[in-house]
Amino acid sequence: MKKQLKFKVNGQPYELFVEPKKLLVEVLRDLVGLTGTKRGCNSSSCGACTVMLNGMSVKSCSVLALQANGAEVVTVEGLAKGNELSPLQKAFLDHGAFQCGFCTPGMLMSSTALLTENPKPTKMQIKEGIDGNICRCTGYNSIVRAVTAVVKGEYKEAK
Amino acid sequence: MSDYTVIGKRVHNIDGTEKVTGSGKYTFDVVLPNMLYGKVLRSPHPHAKILKIDTRRAKRLVGVKAVVTGKDTLGRKQGIWRRFPELCDEEILCRSKVRYIGDPVAAVAAIDEDTAEEALDLIDVEYEPLPAVFDPMDAIKEGAPQIHEGVELNININRHIEWGDVDEAFEKCDHIREDKFKCCSQAHVCMETHDAVASFGHNGKLEVWTSSQSSYYIQRLYADMLDMSESDIRVHNRHTGGGFGSKFELDSAQFCAAILSQKLCRPVKIVLTREEEFTATKRRTPMYYFTKLGAKKDGTMLAKEVRVITEGGAYTAMGATALYLTGFFSSFPYKYPNYRYDGYRAYTNTAVTSAMRGFGAPQSTFVGESQIDMMADDLGIDPVEIRRKNGMTPNYEVPGQAFIQSCGLHQCLDKIEAHINKQGKLPPNHGIGVSAYGFMSGGIFNWFNTPYAFSAAVVRINIDGKVDVYTGACDIGQGSNTTLAMICAEELGVRLEDVRLFSGDTGICPPDLGAWGSRQTLMSGNAVKRAAAECKQQLLEFAAAKMGANIVYDLDIKDRWVHLVDRPERGVSYFDIVKEAIRGKDGVAIMGRGHYTPHRKGMISPAYSFGVQAAEVAVDVETGRYKLVNVTTAHESGTVINPVGIEGQLEGAIMMAGGYGFCEDQPMDDGKILNPSIADYKLIRSLDMPETDILEIDTYEPEGPFGAKEAGEGLTNPTAGAIGNAVYKAVGVRIYDLPITPEKVLRALKEKEKTEKKAKK
Amino acid sequence: MSYHCPVCNKVSNKSALDLARHMIGRGDKVHRDWITSKGFKYSELLALQLSSFGGEGFKALAEVLEKETKVKD
Repeated sequence: MKKQLKFKVNGQPYELFVEPKKLLVEVLRDLVGLTGTKRGCNSSSCGACTVMLNGMSVKSCSVLALQANGAEVVTVEGLAKGNELSPLQKAFLDHGAFQCGFCTPGMLMSSTALLTENPKPTKMQIKEGIDGNICRCTGYNSIVRAVTAVVKGEYKEAK
Repeated sequence: MSDYTVIGKRVHNIDGTEKVTGSGKYTFDVVLPNMLYGKVLRSPHPHAKILKIDTRRAKRLVGVKAVVTGKDTLGRKQGIWRRFPELCDEEILCRSKVRYIGDPVAAVAAIDEDTAEEALDLIDVEYEPLPAVFDPMDAIKEGAPQIHEGVELNININRHIEWGDVDEAFEKCDHIREDKFKCCSQAHVCMETHDAVASFGHNGKLEVWTSSQSSYYIQRLYADMLDMSESDIRVHNRHTGGGFGSKFELDSAQFCAAILSQKLCRPVKIVLTREEEFTATKRRTPMYYFTKLGAKKDGTMLAKEVRVITEGGAYTAMGATALYLTGFFSSFPYKYPNYRYDGYRAYTNTAVTSAMRGFGAPQSTFVGESQIDMMADDLGIDPVEIRRKNGMTPNYEVPGQAFIQSCGLHQCLDKIEAHINKQGKLPPNHGIGVSAYGFMSGGIFNWFNTPYAFSAAVVRINIDGKVDVYTGACDIGQGSNTTLAMICAEELGVRLEDVRLFSGDTGICPPDLGAWGSRQTLMSGNAVKRAAAECKQQLLEFAAAKMGANIVYDLDIKDRWVHLVDRPERGVSYFDIVKEAIRGKDGVAIMGRGHYTPHRKGMISPAYSFGVQAAEVAVDVETGRYKLVNVTTAHESGTVINPVGIEGQLEGAIMMAGGYGFCEDQPMDDGKILNPSIADYKLIRSLDMPETDILEIDTYEPEGPFGAKEAGEGLTNPTAGAIGNAVYKAVGVRIYDLPITPEKVLRALKEKEKTEKKAKK
Repeated sequence: MSYHCPVCNKVSNKSALDLARHMIGRGDKVHRDWITSKGFKYSELLALQLSSFGGEGFKALAEVLEKETKVKD
């Protein structure tokens, strides 16, 4: 029996009818049509599906879609403002903080959530912030360098 | 080095904006109209006859459109060593027998994944379980269950490499060591699992989107298995979420999706679950090593003898290559006057072991670098010094095997020695271990039996001066798209932003063997460079005519400026020349073709890169736990085309190779992998990642484009050995089997304590 | 002195031991069958080779080869 789901994704309100067992990641990808959020496992362990739910980073594969009723979700598609990339996105580009790119949306969301909560994290706090995200390509250090550069104020926020 | 305008510069990855905005499309994201979703039913037994498969109940489930078994295929067997039909032993969809837990027996296509999954439970398979064997030493015994018909003693393949006379040489040694090692398996853990969307049209042609390291290999293997003409199959390569050696052989997602699609003439998408990824795709080859090393008391090594048996798993796959390369790289990076390698691969009823980044060299490097440290210890020689004494040098010939042109090993040793000395006295229970490596830039072998050049490229210049590059090379995250675009831009004399690259689409790109064996920078790079050169030549013809310069002057293009090399102020705009050249050629765009196949380059590779790594660990003697503090690598990869790319490869390699030494393993019980989930498979996360430092050494490889050679795989070789040596330096225990877990370290420390207590009495 | 492989005509100029190593190493059916016909178990010889450096696996076979394949040049 499908139930109504009313929520906002990247500022856009959506009204959908979804099965109770559907996960948030499935609804975002298959119904809302935003495929930036990826999925890399079935055990909520890899972090590729990380989004922001009411300002906090969550693994969208461990959240039922209906649990997001009334909530505000931000996905990787919501980071750039128009054609202006977010500071983190620019930093990732400059620092080569991605390779295959499959974990990158999740990494960006975890980092964005971290900086939203704590704009001046230490290097250790940055590493903790992305500890739930696995990257098989970069070895993490370039990602930490990119986030650090944003923390140091090397990038201006888009208006 | 002459001043390059594009290569060597820190640039954005040309696919970067797609990847940081989530707009890049992977096969994982592909959705086609009228598409169905597929699932694969797999054997729960490690070894069994398939007596009967009843698919009726599954077919009746609402939403199920097709159920296929091995009987719906042509019954062909495939393998990547196509030149040797007896090594093409994998049906993929099994007809009469299953050989490992996870071997596919049926597949379903349905309107959604949940329905397909439900249908799997409705397929009734009757098996007759057979005795199974899991350890290669058991598999070669008389009376062991025979896994493949006609293959007695389950000996899949053996490989031998020899030069000099080791028996005679051992007689002359002052000191000999004989050691045994065990190298474990490892899972690739690509973030994007194996997946494919296969779409047969009513015209009988096949179009496939798949996450792959080699679109050409997949195309060719599809053609073999489906008895189709290669050219009636088009393989697309969207962004690929990692490969690391797991994605250049035809897999169950690709094959089953095609068989289902063929029945229905609708697209079918199969995405393997993470559990299937761990249990039913290929993995690193576990190896049992017996290695004998002989040296004079001054540390000069005279002879090395290596015997290896590998756990092959159920099919050959690329396991034969791993067997060969581990034997060859066991001799690297040192000048052994006498060497012998005997390697054997045994079939076992376990998941197939095949290619994984390093391809047998992480194993051989762990073993070799541990043993040489032990030899140094025995002889009272410094570990860097013993490597210096025996290390390869430029223009060295490995007798009968390979010719090493560029080699910066000694500069790397110097840098690492300086780095270690700079650390001074370390805190207690800290240790720094050293490990040296050398690795190939693509193989010269053609076991795949392709009639095509190994790499080919087409470059086209359009009226606006923008350049299109068509290459079969596949970007799997290593950044080959960017590197190849940079090579083209440099050669042609334009800017990186002027170049657009089409890669890995067999419908429009020339064949390329793909991303494995660290071949693309050198081989695909050479092809692209030659194609660009051909275009440049055509432009310069028109420029020469237009400028009317004296014949003694050469022309060149740099940064969109066509000019006299000796008088660079005299020139014309590249954009103007392009327009004039196209007009001059009757309105036809400027096109150039290039290709590369290594000829007469020895038995292994046209070029080798080298490096030395120093790993610092801090051991907690109470628990055996240790932390990777720092990994510093001095390496040389010839001319660095894409510095951001190389740094990424190095740090990423440390994560993967460090994991191999530190924590990654696939323990099994009677052929069943016990940790098939990311929650249970330990790998290095951000908090475990050590600090990494890179010390670049400048070398120039004549065989490579602008002097470049590989970086992605060589760097995966040394870390396990460096960790092993570091643990020994820190707390005096030597671990001989990977991974070097805290339990093993603690056990060894306790043993050491016991032995020391006994000695005191 | 040279030793001629009774199966594939490979010639070793070194020793019967070296020829034994070739035969065990070659490992294909024809070589294995010859070894078996002399009363050995191929898998046992191979297992010996893969668990020790003593070369015991070869010595027994080498004795047979010494008698049967040696050719005075």
